[in-house]
Amino acid sequence: MAGAASALFLLDIKGRVLVWRDYRGDVSAIQAERFFTKLIEKEGDPESQDPVVYDNGITYMFIQHNNVYLMTASRQNCNAASLLLFLHRVVDVFKHYFEELEEESLRDNFVVVYELLDEIMDFGYPQYTEAKILSEFIKTDAYRMEVAQRPPMAVTNAVSWRSEGIRYKKNEVFLDVVESVNILVNSNGQIIRSDVVGALKMRTYLSGMPECKLGLNDRVLLEAQGRATKGKAIDLDDIKFHQCVRLARFENDRTISFIPPDGSFDLMTYRLSTQVKPLIWVEAQIERHSRSRIEIMIKARSQFKERSTATNVEIELPVLMLPIQMFEYMLRAEFRLPSIQSDESAAERKAPVRVKFEIPFSGIQVRYLKIIEKSGYQALPWVRYITMAGEYELRLM
Amino acid sequence: MAPPAQSQRSPSPSQPSGKGEVSDLKMQLRQLAGSRAPGTDDTKRELFKKVISYMTIGIDVSSVFSEMVMCSATSDIVLKKMCYLYVGNYAKHNPDLALLTINFLQRDCKDEDPMIRGLALRSLCSLGVANLVEYLVGPLGNGLKDGNSYVRMVAAVGVLKLYHISASTCVDADFPALLKHLMLKDKDAQVVANCLTSLQEIWTLEASKSEEAAREREALLSKPVIYYFLNRIKEFNEWAQCIVLELVSKYVPSDSDEIFDIMNLLEDRLQHANGAVVLASIKVFLHMTLSMTDVHQQVYERIKAPLLTLVSSGSPEQSYAVLSHLHLLVMRAPFIFSSDYKHFYCQYNEPFYVKKLKLEMLTAVANESNTYEIVTELCEYVANVDIPMARESIRAVGKIALQQYDVNAIVDRLLQFLEMEKEHVTAETLVLVKDLLRKYPQWSHDCIAVVGNISSKNVQEPKAKAALIWMLGEYAQDMQDSPYILENLIENWDEEHSAEVRLHLLTAVMKCFLRRPPETKKALGAALAAGIADFHQDVHDRALFYYRLLQHDVTVAESIVNPPKQAVSVFADTQSSEIKDRIFDEFNSLSVVYQKPSYMFTDKEYRGPFAFSEELGNLSIGTEPADNVVAAQVVEANDKDLLLSTSEKEESQGYGNNGSAYSAPSYNASTTGASQGQLDLVSLDQPSTVHPTASFAIDELLGLGMPAAPSPAPLPSALLLNAKATIDPNAFQQKWRQLPVSLSQDISIDPRGVAAMTNPQALPQHMQGHSIHCIASGGQAPNFKFFFFAQKAEDSSVYLVECIINSSSCKVQLKIKADDQSTSEAFSELFQSALSKFVLP
Repeated sequence: MAGAASALFLLDIKGRVLVWRDYRGDVSAIQAERFFTKLIEKEGDPESQDPVVYDNGITYMFIQHNNVYLMTASRQNCNAASLLLFLHRVVDVFKHYFEELEEESLRDNFVVVYELLDEIMDFGYPQYTEAKILSEFIKTDAYRMEVAQRPPMAVTNAVSWRSEGIRYKKNEVFLDVVESVNILVNSNGQIIRSDVVGALKMRTYLSGMPECKLGLNDRVLLEAQGRATKGKAIDLDDIKFHQCVRLARFENDRTISFIPPDGSFDLMTYRLSTQVKPLIWVEAQIERHSRSRIEIMIKARSQFKERSTATNVEIELPVLMLPIQMFEYMLRAEFRLPSIQSDESAAERKAPVRVKFEIPFSGIQVRYLKIIEKSGYQALPWVRYITMAGEYELRLM
Repeated sequence: MAPPAQSQRSPSPSQPSGKGEVSDLKMQLRQLAGSRAPGTDDTKRELFKKVISYMTIGIDVSSVFSEMVMCSATSDIVLKKMCYLYVGNYAKHNPDLALLTINFLQRDCKDEDPMIRGLALRSLCSLGVANLVEYLVGPLGNGLKDGNSYVRMVAAVGVLKLYHISASTCVDADFPALLKHLMLKDKDAQVVANCLTSLQEIWTLEASKSEEAAREREALLSKPVIYYFLNRIKEFNEWAQCIVLELVSKYVPSDSDEIFDIMNLLEDRLQHANGAVVLASIKVFLHMTLSMTDVHQQVYERIKAPLLTLVSSGSPEQSYAVLSHLHLLVMRAPFIFSSDYKHFYCQYNEPFYVKKLKLEMLTAVANESNTYEIVTELCEYVANVDIPMARESIRAVGKIALQQYDVNAIVDRLLQFLEMEKEHVTAETLVLVKDLLRKYPQWSHDCIAVVGNISSKNVQEPKAKAALIWMLGEYAQDMQDSPYILENLIENWDEEHSAEVRLHLLTAVMKCFLRRPPETKKALGAALAAGIADFHQDVHDRALFYYRLLQHDVTVAESIVNPPKQAVSVFADTQSSEIKDRIFDEFNSLSVVYQKPSYMFTDKEYRGPFAFSEELGNLSIGTEPADNVVAAQVVEANDKDLLLSTSEKEESQGYGNNGSAYSAPSYNASTTGASQGQLDLVSLDQPSTVHPTASFAIDELLGLGMPAAPSPAPLPSALLLNAKATIDPNAFQQKWRQLPVSLSQDISIDPRGVAAMTNPQALPQHMQGHSIHCIASGGQAPNFKFFFFAQKAEDSSVYLVECIINSSSCKVQLKIKADDQSTSEAFSELFQSALSKFVLP
């Protein structure tokens, strides 16, 4: 982290300042607002939409969420990746507090917003951005609060993501294995890129300081244990863990062990770059007969095992949307469009066919999820698998 | 004493009626100030909230200051926070009011609740009023010793705030020493991290004033401190880890064992979910292994997967930041991603800024094996996607064409673009075809055939028009209609708004005339007349220049305007190797995003901790282990002359090609259009030897007293070198970093020595005979790079030399750094004489 941010702004959709926090006193809100409103006015000029922009000695970095922009301003040579990520974390924090982050929720909660801005960053350096920890000492419903607010226990803890003394009547863990398939098929029908990005999303409702252990059908692990791997094991390509996972342990014996944070978090993400057969294949031909008549021929075929079914399948064509629940499908449609003066350039903007679906299975399998807490309670692990379309694009012929 | 009900006028926060509301609030607050009735706090909260929301929407509520302060004598923490916020907002501009609050903040700093102590201290330090600093020292001192880590964490940053308000107060109170103690002792990781950030800033800023601070700053990079942080790395939260890793990346380990230890320790950081931590670790890995070529390559292999994952997962903003870094890496090591090019294919829904960087990546990773696929993919973007994207894609295709050996297929593709008959596609393509022809004249036949079919009426963009006109002039011989098209264009002279186009028109018609006089005579006359009457200075001057030239002698004109051309081998790179190295040095910061070192976009006073100041920058050695590739770029970067051409162009083009893509985002050869016409007139027959003098002459002409001509060397007074001098690579590296360049020279080797130059591997041994020792070398024909080291015999002052040899152009670039700068000239003499003996024994 090479430099510090000077200020953090929350702006409305037109770029006007809703709330801002001045951390170092070296930028002016008026100047920032003037600059930013001008920037977003220039719509249609994609060049100017870079998330990092420089103006008059100040670097502005921003992200958009709903109808709110979050922006840092800095005069130093900051760490761009870190600050942009930080802004996303701020979104997460606000979402935790206000359900949704939007202009209204900010306006309704000025005071909490200020409190949060005060704690997540000090003098331009990020501090704590875990909503769970922040909520220990910044309560939304402060009115009803009887107990005195304490500085975060986690601060004094070796386990900074979880505080002590959490209690649940029913101890449960929900684990969603979510894999999104990215596929890109070019106009000749060739698959030019395919990979799978997976995430293990957890929601934990566990008391105390539980030790969790997770076993997967990870090829490296299974082979190390000398187990047979009849094609079921998976090569995990690039794994990233939540900070709670003991990485050294994983490096040693591929065991995923951790004390989870309370609530929901992404335990791990990974990427499989092994070629997968496209689960849903679509061929589409569009013929434009005249300005108002268009003929579309679509062939769609599912290519996964019969015992699975896909839900929420949508095939999005450049001209229209088709919601389908299908197995094998062929559609020939002719559309009479209202006689619009279809201008040449718009017609040329051929968007690809995009497919959305969800199928309840995944390449990665959870072999076990053990939860051990010194009080000895029994916790229920719930596991669910979903494979869905990520960037699933088939370009038109 | 019932709290007053909601104001009758029901103020809506979005549309307050202003003053009346504020004085209402003032009254209500005053009534509540002394009240101890139950429920008072709730009422106060309502009122405070109202004050805060007024403040937020920009209504001046400073008039209720004293009431707010009075009301905040409470144990209710939410009220306190709102009050601190309010005070912080108004105190800065009303120092008088601030004085009012000092008392109550100081009291709160002693509150029994650590939360309140911390918050009060933070607010106190944030007031930022210079005449109040004396009140900060006590609470800060207590805060640093507080039993609660929250308070210490706040105090650690508080010290830095104090430093910025009054540096002397901070230093006099000995706070930096306290921070250092805390940093090395505290149990709480966040306290430690905050101490580190504060100390980094303080000592960096102090370093210019006091030597002790400079030493302290260096001490942060000492082995015990670094190891202390490394051992605790897992305790820190993600942001603090970034700070620690940044610190570690500046550390210079003493030997390779240490480097491996550190890398082993940090290996798992590459798996951290936070992309910023991953990038920070990568920086450590890259910087530590700079001097270990093999390991450095392995590092590239190791970091590939995590980087690619970061690009394809996470937010588009993250992709943007990471892609900028990938671009930097691929410039240094083009091979790393060449088989992963598919990761840079664009998705339809990605924001343009991501797509643009991906196109740059595709251009950069293109090599013989993947060019076909990449260009095919780019062609889809040209046909399918929106206009800006289509333009960028065409440019990318063109850039790839300019850097490939086998451009056959690509030229076909470009020509197909012209047949698509879309204005923006045609325009972009024309510009590229022009550049392509300047480099590969052998394609003129195919290109001209297609370009000839384009109606100039369909080309409106100035750059494209200029390109078309250039081709009409340059290939007047082959394009049948050339004189007539030009004539048409000249007829519309007055409607042509772009001076650039008019300049090109003049040159083109001139060239056309010299080849086909009878057909062009009329057009030339019209053009010169219009040009001389032109209001634009350059156009006017050029027309006049041509006119006089023709008057003087047509054959001379011919030899000046239309000499046989040599192809451009490599388009000039806009960035020097120094700058690229500086950017690499600032890996994981904005420098990479902007492709500029930080001193170009930050004011001195705002430079971050450890940002290199100008005199510290020259990390050229850093590039050395990245081997031949970089060395080639270095040489190429110094070929400042746009039209410098070498006869062995195919050969010398080799690795250099990626450099030309580096200027990627705004790079467009025709931006130099105006001057380019002029340069076209100059032909260098023997560029390699003529060049240095030629550029010197021009410099003189321009009145630039450039150091190209070495000042008369002082007598090579018996400069004796220590034959057995030694230095280890790390020490060399550090030294190279510290010393400024004391001498930088370009020398040409006697062409007869080319034979020796083809085998410069023997050079180190030869130089050894002259007591000049080679530290590192690398490169591949025709570019070689060496680092030499020598030590004076009488005292131990040293000379460091970077020597870049281009064996095909017989050029040598020397960069000498010396402890004793006064003798660097003498040393240079010595070095050159040793070198010349190698060339011609």
